[in-house]
Amino acid sequence: MRRWPVIVVAAVVLGALSGAAAYQHVAPRQDEREGGWREIAWLFPRDGWPAGKAFRCDACGGDVAIYVRPKMGFCNCDRGVADDDEVDGVADLDLMSEHFAPLAPGEVVRVADMPGRIRAYDLKMSDGSRRAAIGIAVSRRCDLLVAVAHGKGDVPNMRGAALEFLATNEMTGWITAAMDGR
Amino acid sequence: MSGRLKFAACFAIYFLAGTGISYAQQQVIGAPPEALNMKLVGTSDLQARSAYQPTIHHQGERWIAYIGHHGGSDEIPAPVNPQTGKAEPNGTSMVDVTDPSQPKYLRHLPGQEGKYERGGAQMVRICDGKALPKGDRNAVYMLRTFGGEAHEIWNVADPANPVLITRIAGLKDTHKSWWECDTGIAFLVSGAPDWRTRRMTQVYDLADPAHPQKIRDFGLPGQEPGSTGAVPTELHGPISTGPSGNRVYFGYGTNKGGILQIVDRDKLLNGPKEPTADNLRLPEIARLPMSAFNGAHTTFPMPGMPIAEFARDKDGKTRDIVMIVDEAILNECNEPRQMVWFADVTIENRPMMISSYTVPEASGTFCERGGRFGAHSSNESMAPVFYKKMAFIAFFNAGVRALDIRDPYHPREVGYFIPAITAATDKRCVRIDGKDRCKVAIQTNNVETDERGYIYIVDRANTGLHILELTGPARSVAGLP
Repeated sequence: MRRWPVIVVAAVVLGALSGAAAYQHVAPRQDEREGGWREIAWLFPRDGWPAGKAFRCDACGGDVAIYVRPKMGFCNCDRGVADDDEVDGVADLDLMSEHFAPLAPGEVVRVADMPGRIRAYDLKMSDGSRRAAIGIAVSRRCDLLVAVAHGKGDVPNMRGAALEFLATNEMTGWITAAMDGR
Repeated sequence: MSGRLKFAACFAIYFLAGTGISYAQQQVIGAPPEALNMKLVGTSDLQARSAYQPTIHHQGERWIAYIGHHGGSDEIPAPVNPQTGKAEPNGTSMVDVTDPSQPKYLRHLPGQEGKYERGGAQMVRICDGKALPKGDRNAVYMLRTFGGEAHEIWNVADPANPVLITRIAGLKDTHKSWWECDTGIAFLVSGAPDWRTRRMTQVYDLADPAHPQKIRDFGLPGQEPGSTGAVPTELHGPISTGPSGNRVYFGYGTNKGGILQIVDRDKLLNGPKEPTADNLRLPEIARLPMSAFNGAHTTFPMPGMPIAEFARDKDGKTRDIVMIVDEAILNECNEPRQMVWFADVTIENRPMMISSYTVPEASGTFCERGGRFGAHSSNESMAPVFYKKMAFIAFFNAGVRALDIRDPYHPREVGYFIPAITAATDKRCVRIDGKDRCKVAIQTNNVETDERGYIYIVDRANTGLHILELTGPARSVAGLP
């Protein structure tokens, strides 16, 4: 009996299964719902950093969406996200609109045990409508994690919903894996 | 031999050969340097301090190398200076290279306390007092950064005993500035506290270094105080062609979203100075936006290059070229390749990329060697010995690369030198499954040349200074005997 092809097929199947298991372990599932959040497509054209993950919350009030991604290789290795100007520059607000203005000074925040800052903005969209936005930038050594949430609701609710979502086990697991390059 | 056995044998040979090649490319202490048409003349260990930028100055009868250092490392925040016996935060090394085969370490001038980019004194430029319009004729002035918080000017007429002249402080960052020795105008890469970017330009008149005169702040619209919306990428550094060329070439971005900005120097110096978006736009002639994959670390102008291929064309025989060098930031190829680009800016409002250069990765399996692989910087000397003929590119773990750029439409590598590592060479790490995995490799950070034709390279991973010269065909490209 020819055992060689059987061994090869078994190895391939085993590899595929373990790969799929690893993927499920690090990435939130497409259809997963956590507090009303569901994953949606990353809508933006390719830029200097690979695409991240995008989610929409139907139960957060005001059509809230959040976009999260690591930015590996951040020049400000030693000081981290030192001030609000840093948040303005790196937090992907420009993906939503070139025109945004801060609503207030930012505050310190921790996401997935990384320190950084969070700041609220008023976004002027291309159709002239206005939206509230939250920009978040946290860092670990020379790498950043950024998130931007926007919606029609009020800022405190959106901020609370966004931070709560980023603190879920699923998101913390994904963020940790992404920051480790997995 | 059965088919299966043959397959297994081939697989084993392939695997073993592959592993062997991989090991062969990993640098080991004691192995010779790797070189083509370049040879080692002399070295200095620079007290095992991480080096950023060398500047070579012909000072009286002597040649002095001034080398700016990054801050120390986590393991050794302040290396011991054997000359003083004291631990000193990294600053500036002064080395007499009059005899390049026997460099003499003269003095370490400590910089700002702090590790890596946070401390040290990375940048250094030198002007003779007799060249500056209002300088002390007996002085030699060294402009350096003091970590991220200040610019300093020292009198280094006696490089072993520098004297502080002035300090411009209160900044949130600094980087690679440019100083015109014939006018005293300096384009200081600063971080003015109220600007929305970590690095922008402060233009100063340093004709009298003891009395700096601020001319204006400058940056891209959107970076100025009080603006809102998207913040353009931060400045890396400018290079000016002085009053005769009347252009300043600014490079923005390091490894992402680079911009070459061409600026009218006269309008920059004499135009309205209030930092409004309109006033910032006024001196700009053109911009060349680059891919989001690449930054503009060094923007080295080479105006009026005769192009042999175009010699019989009725128009366009000479071209104004800017060489743009990106900076690799991440270890072990964890980013898009950072390389060298040549832009034809003859038609200034329509600058165009015409060629590029990178080291072939497979020529040294550089992605596996450890540390950064990719371009960082070029020599910035405009001395006739190499200007518009050859360019030298610091390429981190691929050492320094010598390019024949006489036809910038087709740049060609004609030599390279990758120094050997030493016991002082520091490790570089990447995160694998949440843990650091480290390797030791050369990290050639910057390169400079002198009027004699020597090439000076310095290492970011603490391996020191290597002084090189060209040999063989590379030497004839430069027209050296």
